[in-house]
Amino acid sequence: MSRVHAELRKLLGLPTAWAGLVLGVVLNPLVVLLNASATRRMIASGALTDVADLGLQELAVVVIGPVVLGVVVVSSEYTSTADDAPGARQLTTTLAAVPGRLRLLAAKGIAVVLVVAAQATVATTATLALVQLLYGDQVPAPDLPRAAAAVLYWVLTALLAYAITLIARTGVVPLTLLIVNSTLVSVSYLLTKVTDLAVYLPDLAGTRMFVRGRAFPVELAPVTAGLVMAAWVAALLAAGCILFQRRDA
Amino acid sequence: MNAVHAELRKLLTLPSLRWTALLTLAVNVLLCLAYAAAGSRGGPTGADALAPLASSQAGFLAMGALAAASEHQAGAQIRTTLLALPRRLPLQAAKATALVVGTLPVAAGVAATVALVVGDSGRTAAATAYLVLTTVLAASVGGLVRRLLPALLALLTLYFVAGPLLRLRFGSSAPWLPDTAATDPSHGAAATVVWTLAALVLAAFAVSRRDA
Repeated sequence: MSRVHAELRKLLGLPTAWAGLVLGVVLNPLVVLLNASATRRMIASGALTDVADLGLQELAVVVIGPVVLGVVVVSSEYTSTADDAPGARQLTTTLAAVPGRLRLLAAKGIAVVLVVAAQATVATTATLALVQLLYGDQVPAPDLPRAAAAVLYWVLTALLAYAITLIARTGVVPLTLLIVNSTLVSVSYLLTKVTDLAVYLPDLAGTRMFVRGRAFPVELAPVTAGLVMAAWVAALLAAGCILFQRRDA
Repeated sequence: MNAVHAELRKLLTLPSLRWTALLTLAVNVLLCLAYAAAGSRGGPTGADALAPLASSQAGFLAMGALAAASEHQAGAQIRTTLLALPRRLPLQAAKATALVVGTLPVAAGVAATVALVVGDSGRTAAATAYLVLTTVLAASVGGLVRRLLPALLALLTLYFVAGPLLRLRFGSSAPWLPDTAATDPSHGAAATVVWTLAALVLAAFAVSRRDA
């Protein structure tokens, strides 16, 4: 318990983590707001068939917050701590305090899950409330299981970033990869045009938990989709844990 | 000339920069193949013919941020650098020149691959120039923020969230955004140049005024 508490305090002491927290909460409602007039026109002309996806769709697209949090919880350990001793990294101190490496990783993982779950709950509530406010009677009341699935998607995305950073030991690669892929120019989505197997990629499978409207070559049931993403996360986390245990800090 | 040479050697011996360049080239080839395959299956091509660039430029943002932030990592290499070259503005000019020379081959490689797939070799030069300018802009931001991940986060948010969103919502903003030229050189070229120059001037001003 004290380890989780310590990791939470370390994570929330990072300015970059706060940037991620704020971006994650602010961006998705902002996307809804910016799309509002175009969406209204589409509803009026009947071009938009599945209005139940409104808001949830935006939660599936921009997931910068969880990615940043999952990355910095690891990458901050690998940056040097002092100007006069560039070789000294925070990880050395952390491991002196918590020598059990798997316990450390578990504590970090729990800290990320707690913070991202809170962030995702706020972001989902704000986004869906804004959709209700903007479109009123034109959209159905928010579906609680689907909103919960969106929160789960954010948490799993954070764990995915956490696992990749553990393997890469630098924040640059996972941050770039996941942010670029989660935004409007999604590489995963492009790959669905190349092979049907691309629907089993973690981000695309994960969004199938709560977004229905987009056409995909293979339809995944929400629970199956969740399991596919969870399997990716579990496999990458396992690889990250094994490497973290084996490699010198 | 000596200064440029020294800065270039510092850049070329950074392992993280080399890895980023290699990764960018490799991922770009895969992206181009994916776009070509998607195109032959009736996927998105045509209008946004330079589309792979929109994703590949992320590698150049990372390279620019890395190049600038590496000076400010713990150990504060910048102080040693300033000891060797105390005049800050010439140093800044040497850094920018070295970065341009260093990223030019990578940018040309990426642009040529994209042009090859698209079958439009006339745009290779424009795409190369765009990527080099983007790297310089990223380095300026990296020099201002002085820390790698925050700088990269800001750049990625600007290029991959703010830019596309603004273009989608306010179509008239396209010619004013630095990243429009990635897919539409005829509209955003001037904006890219102006944004890059502005970032360079701002970074140079900050360098000459701030404590190292």
